[in-house]
Amino acid sequence: MADSIVWPNGYRCAVVLTVDYNDIHGILTQAPEVAGRDKTLSVWRYGTQRGVERLLGVFAELGVSSCWFVPGIVAEENPQHLRAIQAGGHEIACAGYRHQHYDNLTLAEQSAEIAKGCAALSALTGQRPTGFRIPAGNGAPGFIEALREHGIRWSSSWRGDDLPFAHPTAPEVIELPLHYELEDEPYFAFNLSPAVPPAQSRIASYSHTLGNLKMDFAGFHRFGLCYVLRLHPEIIATPGRIGVLRELLQSIQQHDDVWIATGAEVAQWWAESAAPVTEDHPAAVYERHYRDYGV
Amino acid sequence: MSSSLQPTWPDQHQACLALAFDLDGPTGDAMLNGSIWRKPEYFGFGGYGPYRALPRILDLLDEFRIPTTFFVPAWVVENWPKQCQAIVERGHEVAYHGYKHESFYALTLEQQKDVMHKSREVFWKYLNIRAEGFRTPSGDWRAETPAMLVEAGVTYSSSMRGDDRPYLVKVPGFDTPLVEIPGRWEMDDYASLAYTRAPDFPSGLDRTASYELTLNNWCREFDGAMAEGLCLTTLFHPKISGKPGRILLLEKLFEHMRQRDDVWFATCRDVAHWWLKEHHHG
Repeated sequence: MADSIVWPNGYRCAVVLTVDYNDIHGILTQAPEVAGRDKTLSVWRYGTQRGVERLLGVFAELGVSSCWFVPGIVAEENPQHLRAIQAGGHEIACAGYRHQHYDNLTLAEQSAEIAKGCAALSALTGQRPTGFRIPAGNGAPGFIEALREHGIRWSSSWRGDDLPFAHPTAPEVIELPLHYELEDEPYFAFNLSPAVPPAQSRIASYSHTLGNLKMDFAGFHRFGLCYVLRLHPEIIATPGRIGVLRELLQSIQQHDDVWIATGAEVAQWWAESAAPVTEDHPAAVYERHYRDYGV
Repeated sequence: MSSSLQPTWPDQHQACLALAFDLDGPTGDAMLNGSIWRKPEYFGFGGYGPYRALPRILDLLDEFRIPTTFFVPAWVVENWPKQCQAIVERGHEVAYHGYKHESFYALTLEQQKDVMHKSREVFWKYLNIRAEGFRTPSGDWRAETPAMLVEAGVTYSSSMRGDDRPYLVKVPGFDTPLVEIPGRWEMDDYASLAYTRAPDFPSGLDRTASYELTLNNWCREFDGAMAEGLCLTTLFHPKISGKPGRILLLEKLFEHMRQRDDVWFATCRDVAHWWLKEHHHG
């Protein structure tokens, strides 16, 4: 049984398809030494070169909406892709201006990133983004309040729940929590040198990864939860792997009680319908404790 | 000492399954060194265990009628008392696992005593229990740890890896030995399924294993241990194998286990009591 009825129109669970479109800027944050190394950078440029178009193609084929987190600089460098994402009816959300590791930024710097990223996207799309994902690292204390002040209404950077939740420090901001098992990167990201992953692990089996993702969905569906898939165009949208995604989405679409929606739609529903978090929610427990430790 | 004799189990059971979870929540190295307080994402990853995963696991355990031991750092009990009380109310066992998942190898004897004392107070205050069991968190313990445990009222440990059946550990100065119920890395869900970034786990960010093949491994371990009449325990973690997809994996594992009607499903505490009764003759 589902834990409780939390979704609109008799839907049993929600599915949010999210895409982190970082071009080369993600790997430059992760491994700054790759700057100027064209072969390595081309592994991540593949997203812009082929992945975005192929991913948009499968979304259109299956008639599903998705949500794309795009750093401002990636949007400015690739305006044609931004237009194609928008034209496909997908949501465009903010990931700051530069792709940055937020553990290395002060709250003021993080806040400036939110502002500049939102401005860049607004200038290109004519619409202000309402969603935000931290590209890497963590927000400083006060970060959620900064999101609220910049007009952000939903965030997808936290873990700790499998339903959305209203942040205790700024309940106007709804979190759509992440799950490592719903990300393509841990299974497939690979580069020989510099090594990604650092242990030079084998690329995972496509069939077994599909099996895992289907079983994860079965669990989210049974318990009536929010399945937030996190994809990267350069990782999932290759000729061989796009079929893994297509099969996964087709298996999800076989259920008539699954709400496939954008982050903004799910967050808006949650903001209107759900109760505030209780004091034993991990976000509330964290909030109670972190000041005691000098953060 | 290990015995070469075939273990025997109560009521003509052929073998024993002592299911166990480590309910670590967000405790561990990152909390001990304070870095977790700058990593709300990682805190949430850990908090998911007691907050979301545990209640669903308890429902599943009811369905399969499997008495289970939960090794719980006392900090988790302080912060999720309602969830931890449910473990006891639903007939399972809560046992010691440090205050914030300390490595006992890294503690002085006095510090080890302090952790046990604090845990004992927390368990009494929030759960109204006196725990009997201990599983050492994060790696090793020190030579003086067993005597410290017995002095703190512990009757069994489930910390070692070097056997596939319980055994008795003689503790100098005490008449009654400590029972050890060894675990195996093969039955630790971290070895197959855990993945986090910053802190990276596995340290080289190796791939997450196939659920289907992981289930097959676990079923083979169960089948092998039961065929030889042994005692199998597990090192499962609600935040890892209690995630929505993986709880279906546990469900399939429990279905497989329950196909045998000659297996004694028992808490580690009951296994320890049985073992002492059978093997310790004063």
